Amino acid sequence: MRVTDLTLGLLTLLGGIAIYISALGFKAIPGQAYGAGTMPRAIALVTVLTGIFLIFKAALAGERVPGLVLADWTRQRGPMARAASVLVLIVVYIMISPIVGFLPTAFVVMVLAMLVLRVRLLIAAPVALVAAIAIQQSFGKLLLVPLPRSSFLTFLW
Amino acid sequence: MSMILEAAGLVFQPYVLLVIFASAAFGMFVGAIPGLTATMATALLVPVTFFMEPVPAIAAIVTATAMAIFAGDIPGTLLRMPGTPASAAYVQDAYALTRKGRPETALGASLVFSSLGGIFGTLVLITASPILAEVALKFSSFEYFWLVVLGLSCAVFISPGSPARGLISLFIGLFAATIGLENPAGEPRYTFGNVELMGGVQFIPAMIGLFAVSEVIRAFIHRGTDEKPPPTGKRGIFREQARNLTRYPVQALRGSVLGTAIGALPGAGADIAAWISYAVSKKFSKTPEKFGSGHVEGLVESGSSNNGAMSGAWIPALVFGIPGDSITAIVIGVLYIKGINPGPMVFITQPQMIYAVFIVFLVANLMMLPLGWLAIKGARQVLSIPQRVLMPLILMFCMVGSFAINNSVFGIWLMFVFGIIGFLMEENDIPIAPAILGLVLGPMLEQNFVTSMIKSDGSFIAFFERPIAAGLGLFTIAVWCLPLILVLVRRKAQPSGTQSTQGN
Repeated sequence: MRVTDLTLGLLTLLGGIAIYISALGFKAIPGQAYGAGTMPRAIALVTVLTGIFLIFKAALAGERVPGLVLADWTRQRGPMARAASVLVLIVVYIMISPIVGFLPTAFVVMVLAMLVLRVRLLIAAPVALVAAIAIQQSFGKLLLVPLPRSSFLTFLW
Repeated sequence: MSMILEAAGLVFQPYVLLVIFASAAFGMFVGAIPGLTATMATALLVPVTFFMEPVPAIAAIVTATAMAIFAGDIPGTLLRMPGTPASAAYVQDAYALTRKGRPETALGASLVFSSLGGIFGTLVLITASPILAEVALKFSSFEYFWLVVLGLSCAVFISPGSPARGLISLFIGLFAATIGLENPAGEPRYTFGNVELMGGVQFIPAMIGLFAVSEVIRAFIHRGTDEKPPPTGKRGIFREQARNLTRYPVQALRGSVLGTAIGALPGAGADIAAWISYAVSKKFSKTPEKFGSGHVEGLVESGSSNNGAMSGAWIPALVFGIPGDSITAIVIGVLYIKGINPGPMVFITQPQMIYAVFIVFLVANLMMLPLGWLAIKGARQVLSIPQRVLMPLILMFCMVGSFAINNSVFGIWLMFVFGIIGFLMEENDIPIAPAILGLVLGPMLEQNFVTSMIKSDGSFIAFFERPIAAGLGLFTIAVWCLPLILVLVRRKAQPSGTQSTQGN
């Protein structure tokens, strides 16, 4: 999923303009000409220049219409679904772990991830179980990181 | 002398040695897993170092990093999957040696020359740092401003791909660094009312997202291969290295010197050093045509270079408080937590701590030889774990690591967002390193820029009025102009080259 130079240039230019406009509202240090807006404005100016450079370079190379070059994997349903599954599994962990606790959520997330990668359930389940307990013991117990607890598995903490 | 003895006393304790040994094993493991970098090893160690005294904390990071950078060569050599970006520079040669049935030659060269490069870099660190620290005491905001800009410029221009793409990466990092309350006017910027964002973008989750999560997404897309590593061979790992040392002494020395120098530049680390040294080695080689087909020469030079850079990167970190690469960026964070403020003053107020760091470096690089030998022997077992099983575990490790930094799911959200950004950046050949440096150096750049602007009343001439600031400023501008000069030189050289060809 690759954007062309012209598209990248336009996106950079627009990003720079957006940062500049948003930075206009930031206050200066009392009694000074500089403050919270100085740095974002400086970044925005150089971003705009980079955007213009990319657009100019693309135009010199004969590119007239912004475009998107799709990689082979984006045309297949499998790889796209697998890429999306990583993001979905992270969100599932964030949402579910505070309710159900770390161990069951970590176990389910890892098993599902392995199933997505076509690991057999007979291998995925024990590996995920051992990994979840190992992470909980090392981070949760040894390093005292307050991983979300499960009400029915408190003996592990 | 008493300071050195005091420092040795801090290091040579059973607890510290145990920490060194354990972190070496950890670094070896992480480095040997393709997709997990030395930076990742450091990032994952940070939550553990919270519970340690300063010396074991530093020892853990130094050892794990040194080991991870070497161990990155193992999957690169055996599976053609570089464990760290630094190893990617010479993976072609190392893997070609494996295909010729000589993996131990490649791994032995990596191990021995990594260790030598690391020791060379440490010796430079020991001699150069105190001298530079005295100079740095005279630095004002103008000098620091130029040093930061120089570091960021190097990261942009040295990184692979076009400088424009490197700049885009840098702006992403610098913009992310502006988020939050920490700015000259103390005004919330781009927080959208979110309390967690007031504290700014936490570095570790962002880095885990950019480096590790993007790699996990890629592995899921291509559904990791289950290629089995070949046996590591029966020949001794060290047997051929004495001969390599006598055959390529210049390459080993050049790699160490260049690596240390590149590492010492704020903004450039082991990854860049390895790539540049490999290119230099090929350029000056008598047999450049052999590069890529299993030639040890490039391995010797870039292997020395990447570990030399790791030690060199500590020079700006300790002397100026400016990280030489993303690893020292994390270390600076840890040092602050431990109450040590890196910068020239630390050489005066806590010299025993500095000497302890130097001793740790030497110990780590020497321990690399026996531990590396063990790692090579055990590599087959680690690498036999299929990617399809490993990646889900890494994903979980990333989430727990991002959570552990602040004990909040906000860290995981940050990791999530930066994972997508990192993936899209790499799909578009936008390098990640400048973004990381921008994120780390952004606050320092802003502070010194705004302070200098206030001091000079908005005059840019003041940025060149002090001699060191002027020197640094002119050097930085030269770095900016370098690509343009190179293009002009090439254009000028092309017609004459064509003419001579025609003449022949």
